[in-house]
Amino acid sequence: MQSTITVERLDRPSTYYTAKKKRKYGRDQPDERDGAGNKAEEDDPLKDATTLYVGNLSFYTTEEQIHELFSKCGEIKRLVMGLDRFQKTPCGFCFVEYYTHQDALDCMKYIGGTKLDERVIRTDLDVGFQEGRQYGRGKSGGQVRDEYRDEFDPGRGGYGRAIDAERRKEEEEYGAGK
Amino acid sequence: MADYDRRRSRGGGRGGDDGGGGGGGGGSHFNNRKRRYRDDDYEDRRPQRRRYEEPLAVTVRKQVLSIAESPVRRAEDDVATIAKSLAENYFDHDLTSGFVDLVVHLTVEQPLKIPFIAAIVLLGNSQKPELTVDVLGKIGEALQRRLDIGEWREVKLYLRFLGCLQGIFEGDGIFTILEELFSRAADLQMKSSEDSLGLELVKVILMTIPYIMSSSASGFETQASSLLEKTDIIASTAHPLETLVDPFPNPEVGGPTSSESALALLQKHMQEEAKNSWELSCLPRPWKGTRSAEEEDALTAAQKHSFPQVTVPQVVQTGPRAIYPDVYFSVYGEQEIETVPTASDTAALLIRDALSDTINVLDFNRMVAAKFLTDVDCYFAPDTFVKRATPFDKLREVTGDKPTWKPEDVIVDAAFSQLLQLPAPEHKLVYFHSVLTETCKLAPAAVAPSLGRAIRYLYRNVDRMDLELAQRFLDWFAHHLSNFGFTWKWTEWVDDVNLPDVHPKKAFIIDALDKEIRLSFSKRIKGTLPEPYQALISEAKDKDEPDFKYNDESTPFSAEGQQLAQMIRRKASNEEFTPVFEKIEQDAAASGLTDPALASTDAFVTSICWIGSKSLSHALACIERCKERLMAISSASSACRKQIITSVMDYWKDQTGVGVVILDKLLNYQILTPATVLEWALIDHVARGTLLAKTWCYELVSLTTRKVAGRVRSIVGAIRQPGLADDRKDELQQALAHEMETMKNLFSIIEDAVGSIRDGNQDEMMESSDALRAEEEDLLKAWGGKWARVFQRKYAVEDSWVREELSKPIPEPEVKTVTKDTKMEEVQVAGSLDGQNGTAVDADDQIE
Repeated sequence: MQSTITVERLDRPSTYYTAKKKRKYGRDQPDERDGAGNKAEEDDPLKDATTLYVGNLSFYTTEEQIHELFSKCGEIKRLVMGLDRFQKTPCGFCFVEYYTHQDALDCMKYIGGTKLDERVIRTDLDVGFQEGRQYGRGKSGGQVRDEYRDEFDPGRGGYGRAIDAERRKEEEEYGAGK
Repeated sequence: MADYDRRRSRGGGRGGDDGGGGGGGGGSHFNNRKRRYRDDDYEDRRPQRRRYEEPLAVTVRKQVLSIAESPVRRAEDDVATIAKSLAENYFDHDLTSGFVDLVVHLTVEQPLKIPFIAAIVLLGNSQKPELTVDVLGKIGEALQRRLDIGEWREVKLYLRFLGCLQGIFEGDGIFTILEELFSRAADLQMKSSEDSLGLELVKVILMTIPYIMSSSASGFETQASSLLEKTDIIASTAHPLETLVDPFPNPEVGGPTSSESALALLQKHMQEEAKNSWELSCLPRPWKGTRSAEEEDALTAAQKHSFPQVTVPQVVQTGPRAIYPDVYFSVYGEQEIETVPTASDTAALLIRDALSDTINVLDFNRMVAAKFLTDVDCYFAPDTFVKRATPFDKLREVTGDKPTWKPEDVIVDAAFSQLLQLPAPEHKLVYFHSVLTETCKLAPAAVAPSLGRAIRYLYRNVDRMDLELAQRFLDWFAHHLSNFGFTWKWTEWVDDVNLPDVHPKKAFIIDALDKEIRLSFSKRIKGTLPEPYQALISEAKDKDEPDFKYNDESTPFSAEGQQLAQMIRRKASNEEFTPVFEKIEQDAAASGLTDPALASTDAFVTSICWIGSKSLSHALACIERCKERLMAISSASSACRKQIITSVMDYWKDQTGVGVVILDKLLNYQILTPATVLEWALIDHVARGTLLAKTWCYELVSLTTRKVAGRVRSIVGAIRQPGLADDRKDELQQALAHEMETMKNLFSIIEDAVGSIRDGNQDEMMESSDALRAEEEDLLKAWGGKWARVFQRKYAVEDSWVREELSKPIPEPEVKTVTKDTKMEEVQVAGSLDGQNGTAVDADDQIE
């Protein structure tokens, strides 16, 4: 079976949901105008998705900045900042909800992978925000990816927290500068 | 060894329950890795994996997909190779059907490749005419489908493909259908002088002719000329809507346009080409190649085919995209050296057409779109452009007849022509931003200087540019800089900092900085600016949360203001506010204020703003909590509604972007009415017209009209639902009539207000004229004129959209219409905000 589309689309969801559901939504699904291949769409939880998960934000990026950029794809119905579970401070992700599915798709195409606050941000279609999902799921309250990051990222709290804790412990034990 | 054993056992389990595609993928992966451990004299017990040989169908597919993409390969050679593989393996069903499908898709998805794909079919025809039959069959079907629903760009592209194949057709070939299209166009034009569909059909015809005439076919000059004679009347007559879409309108109302209609230009070009024996020097001729005399004979002697059976419907449809006349627009018109083809050159429109289609068609992958753009020189005749990344200054050294066209300028020009398309481009504006960003990322050193010259041109002309376009330019500029570290050579505009704030250039600077700050923060932007600009960014902009005026004891009602704020913070019930309101109103009345309710409204709304100043979510949560009282205030009087706006915009005066978002939400809640917003901005607070120079005012007014128009559109969408009961339909028709009336009234509020500024009828203006310099007064009048044009156009577009939409046949059931539901009743939806946001907000509140 060959793909009938000649260029990959940027408004396909990432493998996050597909992997979760252990199901494959072909990235190469034929275009709907060909009338075929719609069977997978029936139970696709993202087929009407109006929400996007936005990742790789700086901890310092504000709702207003996000609003300014994301409203270029349509009116924003709701914006939920991702927060550190314990400190209740932004921890580098958010959910943006539009009024229409098309706006969300356009956002994937036109805004995902561009810069906000001088960082390349990531967007992914999302089934919709639910209470509780605004919190980081990492051990120390932030996002998991910020636990073990061994590169210094000033926009996301420096080194990964687990790494940082280890570093500090070493410094205490062996004295700074080792 | 251990490694091997472990893997093997895993491999054994693979056939089990896991199954599916994932297992297969894993298997091949592990096999590849296994190679590293392979030992020559080790006896491999596993069944040897078959050596993987890519099926021919896959190889050819890749070759076809990448045709002409490489600047170092000769596309003609690849065309010949592919044609040969196809002809020799015609029996391979996967190969043949795969190719046929690919041709159908490539034609409309990658239009720049059409001549090359057609050349493959052309060469294949002399070796295996059966393949041509298959291709023509499928293309014919696809073309018919697009014709029936009125997708004219796709019709044009399929016709282009067929035009390139004119040499293999019997008789007149493609000219029959072109004649048929023309007769439809003529009918439409006969019926109405305002028809624009007829223009689109003529454009399709005129854009097909050059590809026919640059194809392998010969001897069609007569047919082409006779067609051109007929199209002349339609193409050369100015369309009444042309003035509406002029990017540089004549400031005189009703004056002639300054820009040329693209269609009229195209007609002229084709007539010129006819005189010059259809030189069409920019178009590629991939069918030419180097061939032996024998092969050449085979090509001419190859079997001819009849043109696919396609009929133009008796009643042609406008299709999904509204059609407006097209004006040729270039940002490189004022240069000493020609870096893009001039409007009088055929190449200008041929290249522009192919590039704008590429941009618009590929909106679903901006990276690929940008790649096509940067490779533009691969898809046209060699020597059409100078080498990539040739610096502007080096163009002087180009000698002789060679063109000095810079590929980077040509593509940036095409992208801007789409971004600055009136009345509206095909996609959201941000798409064009993103294409330009990607192009810059692909070839920064080459594209950045071209963008720089484009920016300078647009800035230089910002005062005579259509206001809507100036706003789009502004928005793009700030967004673009935000993707590239906010670097711009601000020093070159330093002199303009001293212009009055209402001068279009100064207004541009002020608003560009404001928009940059909105995407970033003020310290960051200040750091990118030379000294003279620093004063344009006030200290107050640094504050995340503006001061609460009632914290200052000298502010009237300071104590009550603070009290209200405390009550909002602790989520007091609606009734608890009443005594404070009464207190303020009594004191206000006692001190002689004519409308005491305004004082209490101000204290209340300002408090909401302050308590909610932490973030937009906080603001919305506050509004939600105070909704009941806000609604009561709103219904009290128009003056109170306006006071709400005043209080919000006064609190957020240094961060007007935030203020506008809040007003937007208040409109959704119906706490504000569209009319209130328009009167507030364009009459009460317009300050002799100075507010018209502010982007936030433009944004506020546009979003208000957009909401109203969105409501009309959603009702039209509802009416066009298939299978609607009659009484429901009547109901909707009445609702539509009502909304149309509302919309009309709102647009006339704008028209009257800005019209009076344009005509200098403002009383205030007369009185203060001695204080105002005459120059400034002229500038304000010009702003009034620009506003009037933009909103007249917006109204005309909405009005005609409704008429067109209602005149279309109701679609068959199954069709899903995606109309944005901007209904004002949607407040219930927006109203659920608080509950969802609650946790975060509460937690934060407690920290305070």
